[in-house]
Amino acid sequence: MSAGTTTDDAVLLDHARAAAEHAYARGWTDGLPVVPVTASVLEEFLAATPRARDEVVARMPNLGREATVELVAVNAAMAGCRPEHLPVVLAAWDALMAQRVVTGGAWQSTSGPAPLIVVNGPVRTALGINSAGGVLGPGFRANATIARAVGLVVRNAFGVRPHELEQATQGVPGRFTLCIGENEEESPWEPLAVELGLPPGSDAVSALLLRTCEFIDNRHTDDPERLLWDIADTAARTGAAIGHRSSAGLVLGVEHAQHLAAAGFTKADVQQWLYDHAVRTRADLDRAGKDESGPDADPDEPVHLLPAPEQIPIVVAGARNAAMSMLVRPFGFTGWSRTAHPVQLR
Amino acid sequence: MFESMIDPTGGWAASATDGAPRAARPDRLDGLTVGLLANTKRNAEAFLEAVGELLAGEHATAGVVRRTKASIVDPVPAATLAEMVELCDVVVIGVGDCGSCSASAVADGIAFEAAGVPAAVICSDAFRVTAEAMAGLRDSPGYEFALTPHPVAPLDADGVRERAVAVLPRLVGLLTGASAVPERAVAG
Repeated sequence: MSAGTTTDDAVLLDHARAAAEHAYARGWTDGLPVVPVTASVLEEFLAATPRARDEVVARMPNLGREATVELVAVNAAMAGCRPEHLPVVLAAWDALMAQRVVTGGAWQSTSGPAPLIVVNGPVRTALGINSAGGVLGPGFRANATIARAVGLVVRNAFGVRPHELEQATQGVPGRFTLCIGENEEESPWEPLAVELGLPPGSDAVSALLLRTCEFIDNRHTDDPERLLWDIADTAARTGAAIGHRSSAGLVLGVEHAQHLAAAGFTKADVQQWLYDHAVRTRADLDRAGKDESGPDADPDEPVHLLPAPEQIPIVVAGARNAAMSMLVRPFGFTGWSRTAHPVQLR
Repeated sequence: MFESMIDPTGGWAASATDGAPRAARPDRLDGLTVGLLANTKRNAEAFLEAVGELLAGEHATAGVVRRTKASIVDPVPAATLAEMVELCDVVVIGVGDCGSCSASAVADGIAFEAAGVPAAVICSDAFRVTAEAMAGLRDSPGYEFALTPHPVAPLDADGVRERAVAVLPRLVGLLTGASAVPERAVAG
């Protein structure tokens, strides 16, 4: 490399850094550097989707703000997505807009909920969306940038920024970082998108908002009911209840899923079992200041904390190297849509 | 430099103005009908009810019209807005005591102002910033509202009434124009 080339390189890199600083100065970033987006970059992204650039895919009616395919593409590019990731980001917004909480103030909420974006189908492999080891963690561009693109739309297109219209008391770890593939290859059950009505092999995205994730480490029992008791105990924690109402879903580890399936449990069986057993007595709730039934109620009366079996989403993801799972806590009480949204590829 | 970097906001940040109209104020509240627009946050209805009683007792208002918004985040429904504009001389709105409902309460207050009815919005002080952000979003930067200490939800009946007593002078000031308001916001 000649000295001249080195100097040119250094100048270019200085400009790259200055461009990143420019985005910070304009308030366009979530705290991490963003990729500068020019008109030609935008056209590359728009060429990756069959959807019209002026189609509105995300909106906040209470603020009178919306985001078109074009604006989502700008924010996806800024987030570090590749153009071919855009169809998944758009499908993620389709899935999010199907959730009542999303148009019900969730982005502004003190709860600070985190979108969980679940991808099914061959598009996972094509785009390098991780569904195996470290699925909830960092290290995979598609997972990280698709989730981040959602967050940049909230920040930039909607103008919902922390300490302004966004009022999260503490926020949720994983906010705008949770995009996972389902580990369809090692799951004993049908993929989530198929459970929700799409044909096998569909490229699809489902989404819900989370209050948190809580781990379940259970690798020392071969009794499926003991495993389920462990999960139900986590689901029935009073701290996660608002009044007597709570919520739960599972990012079920492969070993737990296979263990339950081998014992004859379908996904629906697991959902029903958890609904039946995620129970606390009124006395338990009262002890935590969460009983709303009044002084005449029987203190030993059992109370179901989860809303309904089908409102317990189950996704299989992670590596088959230890028997652990993550309980997730859907945000709000208006219910999960139970929908999967096709990824529209060019 | 960097003019070719595309603005990811779609331009909303550059389009704000301060031109939203504000209703003309009465000099006094005697004989006026007061609208109470509550949200579904705990104690909101009780808080506004206490305000209505105090206004009647201390300022001789004529009556109240009570309405409750089913959604804490959405704007006041058009039919409710139209009905209250028809029936009420002034409106008290609240209580903004959460991330989205504080902003929503301010948006409703601005909607009543635009419809010609003076409004006084009550928010808890923890949500002042988001209420102000909504005022900016609705082209009303500097929109004035009343603050009460956070939290409101756990108060008992006596605590709610104490809050209403404390905030009453501010509400009267907002509704009658007796409080200082930015000049630019006083236009018809």
